[in-house]
Amino acid sequence: MSITLDQVTKHYGGVPVVNDVSLDIGDGEFFVLLGPSGSGKSTLLRAIAGLTGVDYGRISLHGRDVTEVAARKRGVGLVFQNYALFRHMTVADNIEFALRVRHMRASHRRERRRELLRLVALEGMDDRLPAQLSGGQQQRVAVARALAHKPEVLLLDEPFGALDAKIREELRRTIREVQRELGITTVLVTHDQEEAFAMADRLGIMNLGRLLEAGVPHELYSRPATRFVATFLGAANLFLARNGAEGIHVGAATIASHEHSPQPREHEVVAVVRPEEVVVAATPAELGSRFVAQGVVDEMVFAGALERLRLRLEDGSAAPLLATADAAATPYLEVTRTQPEQRAFELHPGQSVAIGVRRVHVLPTPLSSFTACAASSAAAETLARQPLLAELAARMKTRIGIRPEPQLGASAAGPEESAPFVGATVISCEPQAAQRAEWLLRHGANEVLVLPAQATVPQRVLIHWMDEAVRPATLAVSESVLRHVPAEAEYVGTLSREVAQELARRLSEAPGQMLIVGVSDLARFAERFSPLLDGGRWPVLVVHRAPS
Amino acid sequence: MAGRLPVAAALAVLQGDAATRPGQNTWLSALVRWLFIATSLAFLAALLIAPLVTVFAMALERGFEAYLVSFADPDTQAAIRLTLITAAVVVPINIVFGLAAAWAIAKFEFRGKSMLITLIDLPLAVSPVISGMVFVLLFGLHGWFGVWLQRHDISVIFALPGIMLATMFVTFPYVARELIPLMQQLGNDEEEAAITLGAGGWMTFFKVTLPKIRWGLLYGVILSNARAMGEFGAVSVVSGHIRGLTTTMPLQIEILYNEYNFVGAFAVASLLTLLAVVTLEVKTLVERTGYRGR
Repeated sequence: MSITLDQVTKHYGGVPVVNDVSLDIGDGEFFVLLGPSGSGKSTLLRAIAGLTGVDYGRISLHGRDVTEVAARKRGVGLVFQNYALFRHMTVADNIEFALRVRHMRASHRRERRRELLRLVALEGMDDRLPAQLSGGQQQRVAVARALAHKPEVLLLDEPFGALDAKIREELRRTIREVQRELGITTVLVTHDQEEAFAMADRLGIMNLGRLLEAGVPHELYSRPATRFVATFLGAANLFLARNGAEGIHVGAATIASHEHSPQPREHEVVAVVRPEEVVVAATPAELGSRFVAQGVVDEMVFAGALERLRLRLEDGSAAPLLATADAAATPYLEVTRTQPEQRAFELHPGQSVAIGVRRVHVLPTPLSSFTACAASSAAAETLARQPLLAELAARMKTRIGIRPEPQLGASAAGPEESAPFVGATVISCEPQAAQRAEWLLRHGANEVLVLPAQATVPQRVLIHWMDEAVRPATLAVSESVLRHVPAEAEYVGTLSREVAQELARRLSEAPGQMLIVGVSDLARFAERFSPLLDGGRWPVLVVHRAPS
Repeated sequence: MAGRLPVAAALAVLQGDAATRPGQNTWLSALVRWLFIATSLAFLAALLIAPLVTVFAMALERGFEAYLVSFADPDTQAAIRLTLITAAVVVPINIVFGLAAAWAIAKFEFRGKSMLITLIDLPLAVSPVISGMVFVLLFGLHGWFGVWLQRHDISVIFALPGIMLATMFVTFPYVARELIPLMQQLGNDEEEAAITLGAGGWMTFFKVTLPKIRWGLLYGVILSNARAMGEFGAVSVVSGHIRGLTTTMPLQIEILYNEYNFVGAFAVASLLTLLAVVTLEVKTLVERTGYRGR
C-alpha cells in the first residue's frame, strides 16, 4: 500500500474535523477525496502531507510510519488551490526549488526542469514570473514544482477550484496523463463530483469529518450504502419503501430487486431511485416498467442534453417519498429525460402522468424514518418539533411521522393501530419512559429513541450492547447516527451488574452526550432501565433485536 | 432651499450614489472633487510648506557660510553623532521585534493575541513625554531598579541606554504594524509549499518569506527610522540635556534656540528636515517600486 491511514482523528477546538478515518490507497492509484466544504477532506490531505498534525491514529507512506515525521521529510508533492507559487521567483527557480534544497548540480537541475516543463506542456516559459502567467499555466507550474523531487505521493488540494471550465478540463487531462506516465500515487481533494468521476480510479466520500464510503466511482453511484453518498453523488430520490416477502414495495409497485433478500417480517427501508431511472407515461399501461404512483408535472427545465422535471406526487400517503423533516412539505420527484425520451412523450407543466421506476436500490441503513409517539396526537406533534429530532431528521433527509397511542405504556393493552412500528420510534423523557419503551419494544418497535425536551446534537455518543446477539445491529444503528452528527464515538465495554446506573454515571460525566444501547432480552427491561430513561437528562436510543 | 440643494447632492455624491451615475450629476461631482483638493492643498500650504520654508529661510538668514559654521560646533556634531548611533541601534532591534511579533500574530493562534496587537499600538497612543517618564520611574535614581543600578555603577537615565530605550519604545510599533496586515493577507501557502518541497525553517524564511514581505518591511523600517531620528518628547525626559553627551539633534535645536542662536538652531533643524524629506522620498520610491513588484 502506498498510503495507509489508520483511525486518523484531528480536532479543532474540541470538534472533530477528521473523525476516525481509515483508508488504504494502492500504488499508482488515483484516489479522489470528495465531500462538501467543511467535511474535513482538506485537513486529511494536509495531515498526509504533514502540514497538520493528527491527534490520534497513524499515517504510513509506502510502509513507513510518518505520523511523527516532519512535512519536509515526508517526500510528498503538494499542489494548492491558489497555486502558492513563489511569486518573486521565475518559473525555472520555482521548479528547481526542491532540487536546490537537495543541492543538486546545476546541469542536472536544468535537465530535470526541461523534462518537467515538457511534461506539463510549458516549454520555453522558464524565465517568466508567476504573475505573467494565466491561472491554468500557474497551476501547471505548481504541478511541475511538486513533482521535481520525484515524490512518492502527489497530493492535490482542489487544484482546479480557481480556474474556468474549459481550462479546468484541459488541466484535468494533463494531470491524469502525467499521473499515468509517472505511475505516481495521487490523492486529489475536490467538492466537484463531475471532476471526481472524471479522474478517480477510486473515490472516497467524506462528510462531517468521516469517510463514509470508498470505492470505484461506478459502484458508489449505482450501489451507495448511505443516504449521504446517494444524494451527494448525483441526484437521488429517496423513498420510504417496505421490504417484505415478495420484494420491495415502492408506492404501488412491488419490485423484486436482485440485491434484495426476502424478509419474513415486513420492515421499512430507504430506497434510492436515480432521476434517470424514473419513467413517465400517459397511463400506467404505457409505462413499460412498474407503476409507482400518479404525478403532476410541476416544473420543467431544459438543460441541454437532458430535460429536468419535477413531479408532484398525487396521493402522498400511498407513495411516501422521503421529504424533508417538515412533514407538511409536498414530496417532489426529480426526473431527467434524454432527448429521445422527450420526443417520444412530450410534456407540459400541469400535465398528469403515470410514474414508473426502472431500477431501485435499497440502502442498507437501519434507520429509515422517525415516528413521534405519545398518548395524544398533540403531545406527539410537540415531540416531533424537539430540536434534536428535527435536526436528525433534516440531516437524514427523512420524515417524522406522528402516532398517537392512548394506551402507550399500559401493560395489558396493545397498540391502537394495527400497522407495525416502522423506523425509530421516539418518545419523550417523561416519568415511566422505561415502561413505555418496553411496551413499544414488546409491540414490535426495533429502535426506541427516548428524548429529553432540551436535548441538542450530541458531541459524544456512548455505545454499549448488553450481549453479543445485538452487537451487529447496535453497531449498524450507531454508524448510521454517527454519519449525521459530528460526534465522537466511544464504545463502553463490559460493565458491572448495575449497567443502567453505570451508564447513567458515564453520561453525567460530561455535557452533550448521547447513548446508544443494544438489548436482546426484554425481561425486567423497565425496571432495569428506569434510572437511565425515566425523567432522564440524556437522549438514549435503544436498539432491540430478538435473539434468533 | 436653493442653498441646501448642493449640500444634499454632495452628500449623495459622498454616499457613492450620484458619482457612479453619468449625466446630470457630473458637474456636481467635479465641483466636489475640486473642493476637496483645494481644501487639502490649502491645509498643506498653511501647516506644512510654510514652516518648511521658514526653517530653511532662517537657517540661511546670515548666508551660507554662517550656516556651515554652525555645524563646526562640537556639541552640534556630538548631537548628530548621537542621533545616528541611536537610530543605528534602535532600527535593527525594531526589525527583529517587528518580524517576530508579526510572524506570531499572522501565523499562530494563541491566548492573548488580541492583547498583543493592542499593546503594540500603545506607544502610538501614549504621549511621548509619558513614555519617557516611565523609564525614569523604572531606572531613575528613585525608580524601581535605581538603587540596584547605582550599586552596580550602571547609568541608564541621563545616558545613552536611556535614550535608546525611550526611542525604542516610541518606534517599535512601526515595523510590526506594517508587517502584520501584509503577512495576514499573504497567508502561509508559499511557506507550506516550500516545506513540502523539503526546505527547512531558515531557508523558508530567507528564500520565501523575506522576499515576499521585503517592501513592507522596508517601509516599516523607514517610518521607524524617521521617528527614531526626530523623537523629542520621550528622549527629552530621559536625556538630562547634557551638552555634547546626551543631546540628540532635536534636543540640540531646542538648546540653541533657547540661547537665541537662531542660525545654529535652524541649521540643525534644516538638517533634520532634510533627513526627514529624504526618508519620505525613499519611502515614496519604495512604494512605487514595491507596488510594481507585487
